[in-house]
Amino acid sequence: MKRLCVVVDDREVEENPYQPEMWRIVRRYPLTNDVNFFQARAVDVDDVLKMNYRPGQFIMGSVLGEGEAPFSISSTPSRPGLMEFCIRKVGTLTETLFGLKENQTIGLRGPYGNGFPIDKMEGKDIMIIAGGLGVASLRSLLLYVLDNRDKFGKLVYLHGARTPGEMLFREEFMQLKDRDDLKCILTVDKDDTGQWTEREGVVTDLFKELGPIDAKNTFAAVCGPPIMYKYVMQRLVKLNVPKHQILMTLERRMKCGVGKCGHCAIEYLYTCMDGPVFTYWDVLHMKELIGKGVSDNVIA
Amino acid sequence: MSSPKIGFYGFTGCAGDQLMVLNCEDQLVDLFGATDIRSFAMAKSDNDDGELDVAFVEGSISTEGQLEHLKDIRKRSKVVVAIGTCACWGGPQAMKLEEGGYEERYKKVYGNAKIEVSKAFEAQPVDAFVKVEMKIPGCPIDKTEFLSAVTKVVAGRHPYFYSFPVCTECKWKENPCILTEGKFCAGPLTKAGCGAVCPSHNIPCVGCWGPTDDLNVSAEYNLLEEKGYDADEIIKKIKKFGGAVVAKMVKELSAKKNTKEGGK
Amino acid sequence: MILKMKKEDLSAFLESAKEWGELWGPTRKGERVAFEKVETLSQMDLKATRTIIPPKKFLYPPRFTMFDYDDKGYVERTGDVPNRILFGIHPCDVHGIQIMDELFLEEYKDPYYAERREKTLLLGHSCIPDDKCMCFATDTEFIAEGFDLFFTDLKMFYLVWVGSSRGHDIVRMRPELFSRDIGKDDIMNYTEYRNWKSSQFTSKADFTGMPDIFELGYNSPVWEELAEKCLSCGQCTMACPTCNCYNVVDEVDLGTVEGTRDRFWDSCMFREYSLVAGGHNFRDSRADRLKLWYTHKLQAYIGEFGKPACVGCGRCVATCPVDINVVSVSKALKEQEVGK
Repeated sequence: MKRLCVVVDDREVEENPYQPEMWRIVRRYPLTNDVNFFQARAVDVDDVLKMNYRPGQFIMGSVLGEGEAPFSISSTPSRPGLMEFCIRKVGTLTETLFGLKENQTIGLRGPYGNGFPIDKMEGKDIMIIAGGLGVASLRSLLLYVLDNRDKFGKLVYLHGARTPGEMLFREEFMQLKDRDDLKCILTVDKDDTGQWTEREGVVTDLFKELGPIDAKNTFAAVCGPPIMYKYVMQRLVKLNVPKHQILMTLERRMKCGVGKCGHCAIEYLYTCMDGPVFTYWDVLHMKELIGKGVSDNVIA
Repeated sequence: MSSPKIGFYGFTGCAGDQLMVLNCEDQLVDLFGATDIRSFAMAKSDNDDGELDVAFVEGSISTEGQLEHLKDIRKRSKVVVAIGTCACWGGPQAMKLEEGGYEERYKKVYGNAKIEVSKAFEAQPVDAFVKVEMKIPGCPIDKTEFLSAVTKVVAGRHPYFYSFPVCTECKWKENPCILTEGKFCAGPLTKAGCGAVCPSHNIPCVGCWGPTDDLNVSAEYNLLEEKGYDADEIIKKIKKFGGAVVAKMVKELSAKKNTKEGGK
Repeated sequence: MILKMKKEDLSAFLESAKEWGELWGPTRKGERVAFEKVETLSQMDLKATRTIIPPKKFLYPPRFTMFDYDDKGYVERTGDVPNRILFGIHPCDVHGIQIMDELFLEEYKDPYYAERREKTLLLGHSCIPDDKCMCFATDTEFIAEGFDLFFTDLKMFYLVWVGSSRGHDIVRMRPELFSRDIGKDDIMNYTEYRNWKSSQFTSKADFTGMPDIFELGYNSPVWEELAEKCLSCGQCTMACPTCNCYNVVDEVDLGTVEGTRDRFWDSCMFREYSLVAGGHNFRDSRADRLKLWYTHKLQAYIGEFGKPACVGCGRCVATCPVDINVVSVSKALKEQEVGK
């Protein structure tokens, strides 16, 4: 029995929340050695109109016969029609996904999760700090803020990668750095090409270039590897950005996306329903949220 | 797309897994139809030794000749699948792993008789010698599990195997836990997949599916000791199908226990 | 609505009720007590304290198919569930089902659970506690709602609570077997029954203060000690009436891209449970996995809903071969020592 795709704010009671709808891969190209960019369009036009999402949300993606897994959405709802994903080949499902060609179909359902609190962020200064694959979800927020530039205050985008070759969306972000409506600073841990024109060093090194910030009026969105979280959090707290305005998106194993399968549970929260965007305060008082290292020894 | 070339090979074991493949009566025609079976000595006579997409290997490796053959299979196969507990873990013939004394045991059986076939050694699982992409355990393998895996490999997908112990399937079958009744059950150490056949007939699990992914050998050992079983019996029984993985853990456990007792 | 029924009329009542659907009840084969399909009351063992696994198996079976798929897409597999009457469900299990209802029927309603729930009639029955029962400690020893009918055995007759409109419809199949005539003696008998039941418990379970004690004991070495004993066999989670975790796997038909999407019970006790692609495991250590389960049942759920996610059925006590269960764990945390 055919059921309708889900709309975030207009949920029908009787639909099957596990029902994937078919989307066609319209573009697919490598961003780095092991990360591919996927662009998909719904086979059924109605599904396009209904896939109404917020930056920071995720979808459950299915590959026929292989299974299903959560993926961050990398596109912005301000450019409707296509869904974009930035996917690293890390396991069995993504291995099979990477074997699919343009024009083949995948199953999508969603969007799920809380996403970034856009309403609260409007009118505030925005800092987006991405490391490695963390850009997969932050690109959605960045593009959204750029598309609605007048609704937000100052915008800072900091992006770190290990090497220039591993910097995702490098060309796209290079074009942002000369714009005067945001401060976009790119850095690599190590330039192994000799051609890199931007910064070299870790993301936290970029903080010194920021100048004074209006901390109380700032929302910071951070996503990257655990070690980056640790140091970036320290810096943000030191700058007096309120802990409940520091946003992080977390990853967990998920089988349903709708709070049923249990895998992403942390105490009484489900990453899929109450997250994947959490504040630094959530992380501090929910011990298991991000694991050892990040929230250790933080008392003040 | 041409159908994948596959082959079946048997080494030290009872050939029960190949028999189980042939026993997939209802699906056998489909299996032969969906694949190009190049080699299956137990089922057909015109076998060739060419390139393969998937080689299914049964039995443990216990002679130089077998090892040579295995390496050749590996060389001409894209994917090697170990089928059955002997190929996956070593089987009962590997129960003395990590104990040494192979030469004495060999002598005990064969005396000084001159054996003309290839030189034998302590039996070991296939992955002790070559890379194995997938293990389908079982003694013999379970039809459903085997077909589920094969259909996925043929479709270019990744098979899924239960990672948990047979106790979980045993609960699905609504059996009371026989360990709590004081019986010797190897369920907690044993990979699921059989559907908890034995405990469902009130027969304790002997562990024939081989070790599960997340073993707590010392907890099982302590529990059985508490229930009154003696150390030798416990070790012998849990090593029976535990193969290389359990043998190593038992060795560590014994070393730990000896140091503890030595320290008293 | 509370009615009265002579005990000898139960058999005839159930016979008539079968018109609604298959009759299932607790049966016993040695130590194996399970809800099975039966034809008559005489096949049931109404004195059995607990089934090996709870009636959750009717609402989300250990393994079932969610979708059939081909290259056109996924087609929901529903509609093949029979009507079933579960007779002999105890208060703890009705409480368990209520907790599962909240999870599966509220936001993002689960159609598979919903269909089975819709087609399952819950006819509860009073019970006699044994040494493992601890519903007194979870406030689940009696039940006022969530069932269709509930039969309280008062020796000569049953008091029959009618908990739903469809429960009432079943009563209306044989109205002559029921009476509304409840008098002073009945009330006194019932009060006596309640007091008697409450006096039967011998379990030492005590979950007071658990949220705080769990918070304080988050880094307690007790968790490591428990982990040394734990076999990670998953029995506790399979047997728990409020464990809902599941895994999903796609099966493929030979030689095609068609197949099924299946769902089966999973457990947070398994290493694979929190493993993400790429190999990172959020709960690689057995201690962390144990902590998650007990924290969820006895701390987090209380914080969220004001009651534990434990209904006191005693199944984890009965089934764990190494004596790790809600009683021993809460005791170990309080006394900071793992009991023998």
